[in-house]
Amino acid sequence: MDVIMKISKIVLSSLLLLIWIQPGIAQSIVFKQFTLKNGLRVILSEDHAAPTYSVAVTYNVGSRDERDGQTGFAHLFEHMMFQGSENVGKGEHMIIVENNGGEANGNTTNDRTAYFETLPSNQIDLGLYIEADRMRSLAINQANLDNQRKTVQEERRERYDNQPYGKTFEAVIDLAYDNFAYKHSTIGSMKDLDKASVKDAADFFRTYYAPNNAVLTMVGDFKTDEVLAKIQKYFEDIPKQTPPPVPNMTEPKQSAERRKTIEDPLADADEVDIVYKIPAGNTPDWYALSVAGLILSQGTSSRFYQELVKDKRIVQGVSADAEERRGPSLFWINATLNPDKDPKEVEKLIYADLERLKKEPVSDIELEKVRMLVRRSGVEQLESTQGRASNLGESTVFYNDPNLVNTWPEKYLAVTKAKIQEVAKKYFVVSNRTVVTTVPKAAPEPAARGGK
Amino acid sequence: MRIRTRLQLVISLLLVTGSLVSAQQQLGPEQPSTPRNQVELKNKAPVSKDILKVKLPRATEATLSNGLTVLIIEDHRLPLISIQYSIGASGPIFEPANMVGLARITAQMMTEGTKTRSSLKISEEVERLGAALSVSSSYGSTVSLLTASGLSDNFDKWFDLANDVLLNPTFPASELDRRKQQLSVALRQQRTSAEFLMSERFSRAVYGDHPASNVTTNQGTVDALTPAILAKWHDDRYAPQNTILGIAGDVKPTELVPKLERLLAGWKRTDLKEALPPNPKPSTVRKIYLVDRPDSVQTSIVMGNIAIDRRDPDYFIMVALNQVLGGGGAGRLFKNLREEKGYTYGAYSSFSARKFPGPWNASAEVRTEVTDGALTEFIKELQRMRDQLVSEQELDDAKRAIVASFALSLENPDDLVNYALTRKIYDLPEDYWDAYPAKLMAVTAADIQRVARKYIDPQTMQVIAVGDGSKIRSVLEKYGSVERYDIQGKKLTN
Repeated sequence: MDVIMKISKIVLSSLLLLIWIQPGIAQSIVFKQFTLKNGLRVILSEDHAAPTYSVAVTYNVGSRDERDGQTGFAHLFEHMMFQGSENVGKGEHMIIVENNGGEANGNTTNDRTAYFETLPSNQIDLGLYIEADRMRSLAINQANLDNQRKTVQEERRERYDNQPYGKTFEAVIDLAYDNFAYKHSTIGSMKDLDKASVKDAADFFRTYYAPNNAVLTMVGDFKTDEVLAKIQKYFEDIPKQTPPPVPNMTEPKQSAERRKTIEDPLADADEVDIVYKIPAGNTPDWYALSVAGLILSQGTSSRFYQELVKDKRIVQGVSADAEERRGPSLFWINATLNPDKDPKEVEKLIYADLERLKKEPVSDIELEKVRMLVRRSGVEQLESTQGRASNLGESTVFYNDPNLVNTWPEKYLAVTKAKIQEVAKKYFVVSNRTVVTTVPKAAPEPAARGGK
Repeated sequence: MRIRTRLQLVISLLLVTGSLVSAQQQLGPEQPSTPRNQVELKNKAPVSKDILKVKLPRATEATLSNGLTVLIIEDHRLPLISIQYSIGASGPIFEPANMVGLARITAQMMTEGTKTRSSLKISEEVERLGAALSVSSSYGSTVSLLTASGLSDNFDKWFDLANDVLLNPTFPASELDRRKQQLSVALRQQRTSAEFLMSERFSRAVYGDHPASNVTTNQGTVDALTPAILAKWHDDRYAPQNTILGIAGDVKPTELVPKLERLLAGWKRTDLKEALPPNPKPSTVRKIYLVDRPDSVQTSIVMGNIAIDRRDPDYFIMVALNQVLGGGGAGRLFKNLREEKGYTYGAYSSFSARKFPGPWNASAEVRTEVTDGALTEFIKELQRMRDQLVSEQELDDAKRAIVASFALSLENPDDLVNYALTRKIYDLPEDYWDAYPAKLMAVTAADIQRVARKYIDPQTMQVIAVGDGSKIRSVLEKYGSVERYDIQGKKLTN
């Protein structure tokens, strides 16, 4: 056993101490880190507040690892992970967890794929065993692949193709990004999903679902020593593999504004999506942009809500947000218009607000609101074991920094008024912008439609 | 790490978790021409056979001198507090027939101004305190809800603000005017959603004339509303003797209750009692409703009929029945329509049991071409609940799933206070939640069959399909007489 033991030091800035300290209440997530012989990273955090635990296995693979012609594969594969393995039957994973009072799920993003179980704490072995069994011996065959392909295609129809504005997201990323990694959606295209073969699936499993490409995190009511021994028992003999290729995430600098208008037969009102390319998550610029997004659109006292929704009554709803990606991210502004309003006018008002961020420092009150939100979110992340297991796994896979679960609030609080002006000037420029307008498709005359 | 405020593209495998297969199906012969796609249980994973015994903490209960009931779950694990006023007799169930939406719009407008605070001041104060505050009233509900939450060290401030909104709303004309414009747009916008169209038609079909049949306001009501009408609804309907205040988190009940007496002294008891309309009746003839949404690529299907209320002795049996049929990823519907047939991303059942009887329902969104196949499978699974006893294994697993999941609710004090609220709202026995596991474990396969035969009847249920009428109309006609609607909710006659 090759266990690297590192007890994480919890560092809080003096500012945080000032507002966070509360006698008798642990405000941080204490965890221990280990690495098994096969390269599987393990992070364990005891919390005996409730008789429950959550385990998350986060694999370092997402849709960014897909190549042209194989879009949707990471997510399709996630579905395959519930189709059985050597000692767990097809579909048994979900059933056995649910029948023992637990919850299980998996999800896929651009940047990672994660699997979770939350169970009563007398079922520690169960969660570990079923995760280990599929990491070791997933059943990849034509019947399972065909069946899950259909399920994923229904998921695509339900969430995208049958929804108003369902195709806008793909239009925006396709136009904004040049690098294929983020240019395509995680759900993928029907055509590529149809092409996925059993061999593709087997190769994908061997390359990406290796123990040395994953992080196992566990939070809840257990004893660290005992649980570590169980993890070794179930996982340590799963063979390691050659590390997968690291995707090239370089995004060429954009030189001119990009614009597009798309028609949507299911929509009733115009929608405007404006995105700016910004740096990866967990960087000083990204935190400043995230704060800018909160000031623009978080809550009903925010700038956008007060101005665009209430005073001008030009939009039904509006949001502004710095997406968090491991690679080049997007600052995404989305506005759904009121009937008979001009998208050009909405754009003009939004750009004026962005100019204001460049020219004037934000107010003390606005920063205070952000600080309180950060403070509250910092406490709330301690509520559920699954949220903590998930955050620990993601911080480790994204940034190799599990302790980010404790330090992210400081990083938000370090953002100054001057920094917000600086990033606004740097990123909210015309040549860095992509604008997609979605308009309802004009309905044919009722008579023509009736004949269909 | 980030503050999670926006839409992040996370694609989940499932919306909920989920059931089990009968032995028959697992052992069925494998046909060489079609790939074997049966759920299979190997039963090799290590499972502790004990169900973790969980005793839900009882809430501290008090009644204030104005008649308000208070339930408190004290929990000092985190410096957080959440509160919920459940205001009986003020929900949409009690609205006049020509004022559908009044209860909900009144609730939503309460945060738009009080005697001492403007709309902007309220939202700014809430956000500066790092708190959350909202008032809502759902269609089909007997109550309105004011919920607020925040940190415990500034609890006095945000609780004061919440009480101001509860007791002193002014419904300013300018704010109502804005809201009316928003509502007019929303009335149009919601008709683009297949999910909305499905729920609108389903509620009409099962509830008939009962006020729970409403799921939206209408332009006529929006136009007619005035600040005086909202203020009158608030004055008449928000009464302490019909209200329960649930509080969970970092509070000390011994200090809080005297404080509540002081803070809420101005809220006076009235004579208002909750008087329910006559109960909805189950339909006796199967009817098919088609909502024609021409550009749909899927058919959204839901079926069901009126069954039981929350106090019905069959409630426990219905819980177990639903778990077997379609309570989650382990349910028969999910297993059949998703895992075996690949018709859908998910197929589930659920039921609504409140102070008056509500419907059971089963639903899925399926691709247009398999509308026929999906309906056949739904009917087959519903009929099977009536015709065959569920297996011992299936029944045990379903009961175990429900009882064992109580442990998970201990992670969140809000869940615990909700158990207490449910007991109080439906006037259930003092030891209701202590006795719950034993009562559920006592449900038999014969009980389930009896209740299925009583309520789950494919011959009398109402079936709604939202989809492309040009492709599915003739399919639906195979299942009964079809009544057609356009997306505006207008009945089609040709």
